[in-house]
Amino acid sequence: MSTTSTAKSDYLLLFRGNVWDRGLSPAQLQKVVSDWMAWFERLKAEGKCVGGNPLEDEGKVISGKQRTVADGPFAESKEAIGGYFYLTVADEMEAIEIAKQCPGLEYGSVVEVRPVADECSIKQRAQEYSNHELAGATA
Amino acid sequence: MNTETTTGEYMLLFRGPHWDRGLTPDQLQQAMDKVMAWFEGLNEGGKIKSAQPLGTQGRIISGTNGRFVLDGPFAESKEAVGGYLVLRAANLNEAVEIARSMPTLSYGVSVEVRPILAECPIFQRHPDLVQRARERAIQAEQLWVAAAA
Repeated sequence: MSTTSTAKSDYLLLFRGNVWDRGLSPAQLQKVVSDWMAWFERLKAEGKCVGGNPLEDEGKVISGKQRTVADGPFAESKEAIGGYFYLTVADEMEAIEIAKQCPGLEYGSVVEVRPVADECSIKQRAQEYSNHELAGATA
Repeated sequence: MNTETTTGEYMLLFRGPHWDRGLTPDQLQQAMDKVMAWFEGLNEGGKIKSAQPLGTQGRIISGTNGRFVLDGPFAESKEAVGGYLVLRAANLNEAVEIARSMPTLSYGVSVEVRPILAECPIFQRHPDLVQRARERAIQAEQLWVAAAA
């Protein structure tokens, strides 16, 4: 008898680098493109990926108190995030194993694996501070 | 920029997860109140498709078959993504204006705004390959479904 835990954890795969396809031969490209689509469809069929999207190469970056708007990120970059998958899997190990299947890896694509947090850690810190204050007030 | 394939959705990436460093508890509480109000306002307006904070432990996978698994990015980095928001907006300008109103910008967070595409730019560069790829993907899925049955 096997008991399967239904507890799942959410992870984001961020695909970094959006120029790794340059310089590939048509045959290599065809294989990567079809492998990637098949990978996505398989993960969704298995219930491990609930969604994913590619991102437009260009966008805007906003920063500073003045909220300055700049073009970015630079389109040709090994760091630029080209897309993401949202995974629901058993644990981090499984998320990493899935990431290793990315067909772009052998051509230089990089996959960042991040856990989706239940709650923002900064919100938690703010909550802890106010809990301490409450504790101090009643002491 | 090819806007025909945009989905009316924009990805906001919030970078610099340790923006609370150096704030007093009072300042942090005030900041969080503003941030929560910002999210709630957008949500009530139906602008948020999804949004999540990301945990600080991450891994970077690279190399053939993902043979390199490294820790990263580091939460102290101003480039590290601390969270994301999938925004519904009429166009990039509206998405940018919404992004500019994010309160944490005052504390050093930067916000990257990227249109979400229906189709990958790599596929767009090679449309002739996509049709054949789709056929192969469907075949692969059929094999997978048959094997799992």
